[in-house]
Amino acid sequence: MSVLSKLQEAVVCLKAGRVTLPYPVKSQPVPEKFRGRPLFDAAKCTGCGGCANNCPAREILLFDLCQEIRIVQYLGRRCTYCGRCADVCPEKAITMSHEFETGTNAIGDIQQRVELFMSTCQRCGRCFKEPSALEQLKLKGYRVDDVAHERWVFRSKSYLETEPAVDDIKIEMD
Amino acid sequence: MVAREKLNQLKEKFGPAVQRADMPCDERLFVFVEASALKAVCQFLFRDLNARYVIGIGMDDRPFSGQFMVAHDFAFDEDHLLCSVLAHVPADNPQVDSISDVVPAANWAEREIHDLIGIEPVGHRYLKRLVLPDGWPDGAHPLRKDFAWNQVPEGYDDTREFKFDDPPEGCTVVPFGPFHPTLDEPAHFRLYIEGEMVRGCEYRGFMVHRGIEKLAESVLTYNDIPMMAERICGICGCVHNVAYAQAVESAAAIKPPPRAEYIRTIMLEIERLHSHLLWVGLACHIVGFDTLFMQSWRIREPIMWIAEKISGNRKTYALCVIGGVRWDITPEVKNELRKLLDKLEAEWTPVVAAVSKDKNIQKRTHGIGVADRALVKNMGLVGPVARAAGVDIDCRRDHPYAAYDRLDFEVITEGGCDVWSRVLVRAKEVFESIKIIRQCLEKMEDGPLQLTIKDELPVGRLGLSSVEAPRGESHHFVITGENNRPRRWRVRAPTYQNLQGIPAMIKDQQLADMTISLGSIDPCFSCTDRLETIDLKSGATKVWTQDELLKLTRTKKA
Repeated sequence: MSVLSKLQEAVVCLKAGRVTLPYPVKSQPVPEKFRGRPLFDAAKCTGCGGCANNCPAREILLFDLCQEIRIVQYLGRRCTYCGRCADVCPEKAITMSHEFETGTNAIGDIQQRVELFMSTCQRCGRCFKEPSALEQLKLKGYRVDDVAHERWVFRSKSYLETEPAVDDIKIEMD
Repeated sequence: MVAREKLNQLKEKFGPAVQRADMPCDERLFVFVEASALKAVCQFLFRDLNARYVIGIGMDDRPFSGQFMVAHDFAFDEDHLLCSVLAHVPADNPQVDSISDVVPAANWAEREIHDLIGIEPVGHRYLKRLVLPDGWPDGAHPLRKDFAWNQVPEGYDDTREFKFDDPPEGCTVVPFGPFHPTLDEPAHFRLYIEGEMVRGCEYRGFMVHRGIEKLAESVLTYNDIPMMAERICGICGCVHNVAYAQAVESAAAIKPPPRAEYIRTIMLEIERLHSHLLWVGLACHIVGFDTLFMQSWRIREPIMWIAEKISGNRKTYALCVIGGVRWDITPEVKNELRKLLDKLEAEWTPVVAAVSKDKNIQKRTHGIGVADRALVKNMGLVGPVARAAGVDIDCRRDHPYAAYDRLDFEVITEGGCDVWSRVLVRAKEVFESIKIIRQCLEKMEDGPLQLTIKDELPVGRLGLSSVEAPRGESHHFVITGENNRPRRWRVRAPTYQNLQGIPAMIKDQQLADMTISLGSIDPCFSCTDRLETIDLKSGATKVWTQDELLKLTRTKKA
């Protein structure tokens, strides 16, 4: 009886043939829905903080450098790629990419930092990011990725201009 | 009306000691009893009413009621009832009668309550440290509410040594683990060997603690926890994810939409398929039968791929949120899944046919790691270990959740009580899982995936949920709380009970059979070790010492 089952097992093996994939020389394509490393799109992000509030691993931090600059930082250390941030993002600024080979010695390769310029509402004083691309264009001189150059930083005023709101932005140039 | 019936029986027997009861539905019963009557009530449930012991839970309820709380969960499998017996314990004198001499299965649970909450089970025969690491100071109890989640206790002493029991006379100590080629996770067994025979052992586990329960009640929020619960286990993560969501839903009286229930069922069964194939492979690998190891893993691989396609990841499905699921099963995936199941069935059938007659593997597994009905009852063993001993329990049928009440399947049992029977149970359950998924695909109705929950979840409600993981029943206990997070969340993974049966299973067999016996319960140490600590060393249970073994595990029948 045992001989027979050995033969059957041999048939199973022979039928299967060679199935090992040539990874890592060649990697398999991942499915469309694959949840890899999350990518943050600075152009779409409005700094609402929904991702930071909903990250189970607390890997997305939100802090304000000043009234106008908000930093969204993705630390990427213990992120579990659950995709909750992408789920809750109202602007679809976070996408779960197809990257999975994220092993690295330098954590900076994985971390992402989004620096957002937040305008101040002239009525309530709270910060917001201009909703439309057109409004963002008014912020000439400000570069999203250039916090280091502080002279670009816009300072809001706490009072309303008497002039119409269209022309109320003055960039401090040196 | 089973719940009311049981309650009436309790009232009749114990009268005013039964303080109040909650019956949110016919499948759940919460009985509050006087602490002095707790032991008698548990004995009555366990011995006279023949309930299965599930777990003991300690809670620090001082901020709310000014007292500690202890709960013991029981399951009436034939009556489809989960029952929790709760008792308040005074804050100034946290002591409660130990139930472990009438319910041996409560041994670890009580030691854990003692370690983490600081409620002393009076009369416990072996109150050695179980969960906390060696260097942890006495008197610091991490699950108390006044202990911060990131607190390092004062007086932590790295150099403090754990005191092991002396081996019985004539025995040599053979250390097994924490790192060993056949252990996938760290755990330490001190085996007492006489010649080639194992006469007993002492277990130190709980080395991979991540403090998930503490985090859940102090840092995370309701919808964060499912993603973390999933990380409790690398094999049956989805089980914890679903069980947690269901426990909260049952506490808050939320019913997820039917489509979500079917999707949960499908994902759970996909997980079972991969887990059973993985385990059969591993068990064969342990006894040196690598052919089957390779083949069953080959057959398993497409299951991982389809899971990846549905959920976005091979293993961590991140499936549930409270009130629904996150991923849909599209018609395209549905077709693919059907084809995959056909292929799987066609491939698995000849493997099972060949292996079930293979003398070599039978010789290595017959009569090894025996866990008989008495041990199953006394230690509360669950899953394939219980079913291989002819104990017909399966939460999918006994405590139906998700869509299992609308499906037709069989519960596989075997009578051999040994490793071989467990192999057979698991190999055959693969076909049942295939059957279940096929029915789900057939019956799945259209509809929303998630419920819109507008109100805050009610506070202070109790919820229980049992989910049949591939290795046995996974039980979650939740008390809802303030600040969008539970007050207490207790996870009991199947290995927590099954490991307590190991000493009896390996006693008086050859050292060479130790690994497969241990492997046969499919131990998942990280499941068991989900609580609050940094590392290290549980104590031994009384069971380990040579002559006490049978006394505690087998002869204690009432």
